[in-house]
Amino acid sequence: MKKIKDQLNKIKKENRLGVMTHIVVGYPSLEENKKMIQLMAETGVDFIELQIPFSDPMADGPMIMKANKESLDQGTKVRDAFMLMREMSQKIEIPLLFMGYFNTVLNYGTEKFCHDASQAGCSGLIFPDIPLEEEKEENFIKHTNEFGMNSIRVLSPASTTERIKKNSEVASGFVYFVGRKGTTGAKKSLDSLLEKNIERLKKHIKIPVAVGFGISNATHVRSLVGKADVVVVGSALLEAYELGGMKKVGNILESIVDATR
Amino acid sequence: MKNIFIKNKYNADSHGHFEEYGGRYVPEMLIPALEEVERGYNEIKNDPVFMEELMDLFHNYSGRPTPLYFAKNLSDYLGGAKIFLKQEGLNHTGAHKINNCLGQALLAKKMGKKRLIAETGAGQHGVATATVAAKLKMKCKVYMGKVDYDRQRPNVFWMEQLGAEVVPVEHGTQRLKDAVTATLQDWIENVDDTFYLLGSALGPHPYPSMVRDFQTIIGLEVQKQLKEVYEIDRPDFIVACVGGGSNAIGIFNPYLEDEKVGLIGVEAGGKGVGKIGNHAARLQKDPKIGVVEGYKSYFLQDSDGQLQNTHSISAGLDYAGIGPEHALLWKKGRVKYQYAADKEVIAAFKLLAKKEGIIAALESSHAVAHAIDLAKKLDRNKNIVVNLSGRGDKDIFIIAKVLGDEKWKKFLKEESL
Repeated sequence: MKKIKDQLNKIKKENRLGVMTHIVVGYPSLEENKKMIQLMAETGVDFIELQIPFSDPMADGPMIMKANKESLDQGTKVRDAFMLMREMSQKIEIPLLFMGYFNTVLNYGTEKFCHDASQAGCSGLIFPDIPLEEEKEENFIKHTNEFGMNSIRVLSPASTTERIKKNSEVASGFVYFVGRKGTTGAKKSLDSLLEKNIERLKKHIKIPVAVGFGISNATHVRSLVGKADVVVVGSALLEAYELGGMKKVGNILESIVDATR
Repeated sequence: MKNIFIKNKYNADSHGHFEEYGGRYVPEMLIPALEEVERGYNEIKNDPVFMEELMDLFHNYSGRPTPLYFAKNLSDYLGGAKIFLKQEGLNHTGAHKINNCLGQALLAKKMGKKRLIAETGAGQHGVATATVAAKLKMKCKVYMGKVDYDRQRPNVFWMEQLGAEVVPVEHGTQRLKDAVTATLQDWIENVDDTFYLLGSALGPHPYPSMVRDFQTIIGLEVQKQLKEVYEIDRPDFIVACVGGGSNAIGIFNPYLEDEKVGLIGVEAGGKGVGKIGNHAARLQKDPKIGVVEGYKSYFLQDSDGQLQNTHSISAGLDYAGIGPEHALLWKKGRVKYQYAADKEVIAAFKLLAKKEGIIAALESSHAVAHAIDLAKKLDRNKNIVVNLSGRGDKDIFIIAKVLGDEKWKKFLKEESL
């Protein structure tokens, strides 16, 4: 749990925005995943989500859906995600998180999943399809905390004040704020209400706020300086990879990291 | 007026949990939309005006009550129990689907929504949604997996004629489950003016309960018709096919606490239940619990929890999940779940057509197949009600192909010139 907190403190001290990036385990391959994680860490990224591919990724847009499917078609297993986590968490300093869908956790066994993830060096869990209402049944947040990881709650512009408050009671590390209504995916411009929405959220959320969904370039990032605490860049990097491989990913990452300062 | 909102011991709790099944496993951004639907649903339960309007649509638009028909020729031929057919295929648009569509669309209208969106597999639910959208002057967009979109051209054509926009979904397996995902994603983006008209008794709370309630009209009519037309207090068995499970839960619901009535759901056995991918029978061999598409139930999935492909001759049963109330009824043993293989289904389809002059949908023919087996084992004084959930006109391409009809092939060739 300390790792995410330490990184957040570092970001604060350096008076800049933090950056979280995202990869889909097994896409395009586990070997490329490793290179990309290494590259992200070296470029100055603060957190990396490793998404465990799932057959029905309901909150993801076309790019990440495609990556999920292709990864599964190539035979990626949940144990590959754990192996990748174990290997990379030893190689790099920054916190790594698992992102995915709850069926993966349930199928693995919720307590065992949290235990093994923590053992593998995972610092936090982002599973958007397990809302607070189901916590009583599933004990997901409980086990996440029990094994020393942060439970990253995902909130959206549609969240009512009541729900923001409820989530703030159990959130730890940072809160992941979905900047727009819709699914993941790089967009040309950010939601016009984004700033107001972040302000509304910050009234009730006392831990740092990461903003994602639709962030694709340095201009987007710059516009969030002083408003959000962390920016999340996902689909845009996958798109960059498709267009120009690791080199293009590196270029975009550098411009994004530059824009945070 | 009939009360379709029945309370019994199998009902979900206030969070939509049918004991361990059901619930609302969705991203935060969908919760407010679902809460809004839930509030609307709770309000109409006590709204006599809503009920009056719905019953009027059922009666004058859809043609309810549908007949409960004693299949004497078939029963005589089999020499066992008497078989009664609940003729849901005689509804407007040809299946029970319209019951739910009318209910939800009317609710959407009351909630001030202007736009209906829906997922569809073979296109039956899409056609029914497009139909009620036209009737209630609402915009309509239907998502359909690309594979289904390509092979179900007639239904796509009708939906378009009814004024709906049909979108082929190109992600994932390009089937029903991917259409569900696409519809949810549309909803997330357009929640302010849009209502998701979900087609079966599944998905996140309140859909499983709400869809069941709108389909309960089937069971209520059966109760009344058995008494008034045939002077039968209760049937010995009710048989219905189960994909997501909406026609089955609708006919079972009024009988759930009457333990003297045997309830049987029939799943799609496809090419055989031995191998995953060949069937859509979720409750036959070591059912596996999962959380997909917003609810907890049994799903056909692999050891990693990835949803698996399914197969059935009937598109409407070709689905990897089953409604959460069915999961509970299975666990409690209140409903027995059997299966019928593609071959038995075709044989049942042919027999019913020849004996009674009724062309049943392939989905419903699963129930007929099981009822044929069951009737043979029972005495004449026993009564079986089969939910004939839809008529088979839509299946002409599949059935003609399976039967290898040469003249049909020639006809298709000539038409394509």
